[in-house]
Amino acid sequence: MKDIVDDKSKGRRFRFKNMLPSSHKDRYHSDILNNKIDTMPDPINNLEFISENFKGKVGVILSKDSNSDLIEKKNRIEDVCLTKAIKIMSQEGEGGGRRGSLEVTVDNGKCFLCGRCEDAYPSIFKLEKKLKFATKNKEKLVESFDLSFEDSHTKSFNVDERDYHDLSYEQIGTELKKKIENIFGRSLAIREVDAGSCNGCEIEITALNNPIYDIERFGIHFVSSPRHADALLVTGPVSQNMKVALEKTYNATPAPKIVIAAGACACSGGIFGDTYATTCGVDNVLPVDVYIPGCPPRPEALIYGLFIAIEKIKP
Amino acid sequence: MFNSNYDEGWLLMSFDISYSKIPNYKSLLHEKFKDNVERMYHKNNNEIHVLLNNPESGPQVVYFVYDELKCRLVTMICNDEREINNRYDGKYENNNNDNNNVNFVCKRDNGFTLRYILSKEDEDIFFIVTLTLSDPNNLVYPSIVSKIPSAVYYEREIHDMFGVKAEGNPDTRKLVLHEQWPDKLYPLRKDFNIKTKVEKRSKGYYPFLKVEGEGICEIPVGPVHAGIIEPGHFRFSIYGENIINLETRLFYAHKGVEKLAETINLDQALLLSERIAGDESVANSMAYCQAIERMTSIQIPKKANQIRTVCAELERIWNHLGTIAGISTDVGFAYGSSRMNILKENMMRLNEKISGSRLLFGVNQIGGVKIDIKEDALQIILDETNQVLYDFDTLVKLLQNTSSFMNRLTGTGIISRKAVVDLGANGIIARCIGVDVDTRKNHPYAYYTDLDFDIIQDIHNKIQYEIELNKRKGDALSRFEIRVNEIKHSVNIIQKIINDIQYSNTFKDNKHDDNLVSHDLKNYLKPYDNALGYAESHRGQTLHWVMLGEDTNHIFRYKVRTASFCNWPLIEQAVQNNIVPDFPLINKSFDLSYSGNDL
Repeated sequence: MKDIVDDKSKGRRFRFKNMLPSSHKDRYHSDILNNKIDTMPDPINNLEFISENFKGKVGVILSKDSNSDLIEKKNRIEDVCLTKAIKIMSQEGEGGGRRGSLEVTVDNGKCFLCGRCEDAYPSIFKLEKKLKFATKNKEKLVESFDLSFEDSHTKSFNVDERDYHDLSYEQIGTELKKKIENIFGRSLAIREVDAGSCNGCEIEITALNNPIYDIERFGIHFVSSPRHADALLVTGPVSQNMKVALEKTYNATPAPKIVIAAGACACSGGIFGDTYATTCGVDNVLPVDVYIPGCPPRPEALIYGLFIAIEKIKP
Repeated sequence: MFNSNYDEGWLLMSFDISYSKIPNYKSLLHEKFKDNVERMYHKNNNEIHVLLNNPESGPQVVYFVYDELKCRLVTMICNDEREINNRYDGKYENNNNDNNNVNFVCKRDNGFTLRYILSKEDEDIFFIVTLTLSDPNNLVYPSIVSKIPSAVYYEREIHDMFGVKAEGNPDTRKLVLHEQWPDKLYPLRKDFNIKTKVEKRSKGYYPFLKVEGEGICEIPVGPVHAGIIEPGHFRFSIYGENIINLETRLFYAHKGVEKLAETINLDQALLLSERIAGDESVANSMAYCQAIERMTSIQIPKKANQIRTVCAELERIWNHLGTIAGISTDVGFAYGSSRMNILKENMMRLNEKISGSRLLFGVNQIGGVKIDIKEDALQIILDETNQVLYDFDTLVKLLQNTSSFMNRLTGTGIISRKAVVDLGANGIIARCIGVDVDTRKNHPYAYYTDLDFDIIQDIHNKIQYEIELNKRKGDALSRFEIRVNEIKHSVNIIQKIINDIQYSNTFKDNKHDDNLVSHDLKNYLKPYDNALGYAESHRGQTLHWVMLGEDTNHIFRYKVRTASFCNWPLIEQAVQNNIVPDFPLINKSFDLSYSGNDL
């Protein structure tokens, strides 16, 4: 086991060689104290690190045979989903003997990836490995799959100005840096507010600061006071007890400011929905600029959402 | 332990030694409280129900069980049973191998019922003392706080949610519902609709305890905190840098989980139980599933128990890694925390490979598990946990050799044994002062019944273990060291279970059961049946009590008490005589969940 420090340098205080337990010497090799841990170079486009059975997004498989099934069992299929994220709409054909079109919409803001739809109807729904991407408008979170009498196609999500999938992470990062410099100087300061979440989203947001995702290399950092912040990152269905605190935090943030809602609970109330103690989503309290779906959203999806947020600001 | 016979599709639980002591307790209680006890029976294998006929006699029975039988109060449950008729409170009559279960109708007055649940730690027994308040104009019962201080919070919560008052409780402030909630409106009563939105009342202020004197200042912190953390309010009274008094005020994350569970069906409530606290999802969903499974006498397949236990231990490991990383950040040692976060990220990626979710959502199902861990996955788990343990050993040595880190942790946030026992703390908070309370050992469940904790925890000599327990000082350093040891024990448990699975895979015989779920469990559920489910999460014991409705696919009452609810009062004791900059460290060394407390 060699030293982690260079032999050329002198006078280092820590020698870790003798501290490692000898019984493990042959089997394991530890790089943990080394400074050369590989930070992920491209978290958005390089999806190899995500495992095969990752529950990322609900996909709908439509074929001509499933057409009649869906129309008949419409109410039962819609009942399987606890937050009513799945809706089936069928329209009559427009004369001339054409069959009507059938549209299945999945609201990604409400879906929290429980998989009950796939268990009940595996021929129609399938949980896929893809990431759910963030959007600027709440309507764009609703993904629709429609089957006209032709082959089925899925409308993919669109970003207003440009599709980021062709650019590499480094290119996006440099563009982002330029935009940030134009508007905010050299950095983006985020204040994270938990408005009653279950702590799952906070764990993923905390993971953004670890050496593997390392969001600070792009100048994005988390600050401790809303007075220092440019953006508010809100999680949780805003509980009634936190409503006043959230409004005060928003008012304390100086303009220009943006609000990012992270997680299914912040987008639409999530599994907690509409009770005596919740307000069913952040947009009932504050004006939201970006919606990041997921339960909880992966760090990659959070980074994507932050990029979208920056594009939105016009000086 | 349990004799199980895998040839049959479902199994009959046979009883072990603790059952033989149950008649002793029943006769003891019967002899002492003949006039007050209406009926006494035991059900669900380790619950002894004591039904009282008069609310006034509650305290003396509870004090007897608490003092003489040496039990701890674990929770108090109130239930709105004003409209139930002909309720079955079933009792199983199992005569050895007789499969017939005899239920009798327990006809009781309608009204609000109050259940005190006390658990005995040296045997696997729960006492449930039940009393009924049937007069709707007089919803008052005598309080037990004079002898059992931990009951303060339970009684305040019951008053907020049901309007049932404890006479003699000195603390009359609202706990759960904050100032904008009007008086005389109680959310958990059956006549309150879940979607009611209340009008805002005029602003009121929560009366904190005021400390007066020259030079004393008051610092309010929260609910929006400086880091990435959940909401909660802390009111310090300080003199210079020294903390004289701290008062916590929580329930900012109250979402109405218990009321929501009454409107959805059993399977959907499982999804809700996972999301009470995102980092305790396996433990909470396991406790919920076990509550429903204990109502029937069906035992779930062995492999399902093994998978549940493996996932519970994986959850323990990644959470402890995260807590140690947080302690390192709050001390100011950023290098240590960034290294620990790499290990935590590795563990979360392992979680994803097994279950498809980084936080282990979707593992449990009523009657078994939803995921299967096959041959190659078993090997991946073994290799990955061993590698993480190896790296973790290196890092802990680094931390223990950093004198600034050790100096900050030693002697900070000391809690006393009396506070832990009186306030009913559980989990790591209790173990750091030598009170060895662990649900996996005291009330074994899932695959823990087949594991020997003496071997796993390296206890060779009982007397030496007792001495070592007494040496624990209850400061932040002891909580750090307990977490370090628990990670090692968890890896040992995972290795042992995987060895067992691999052994039974290689020696497949006709007794081998590859099922993951017992599907016919739901046919054995009866209306208004109730049971207690418990599990040990990484914070401590979490308890779920479920009572089914008229239609057995819905829930009548779901009561959750996670470990954080019991442990929050201890922070107020731990910060005495410490300085304000040490507060983040103490708070993180406790690592309690705000959302698990608030529901």
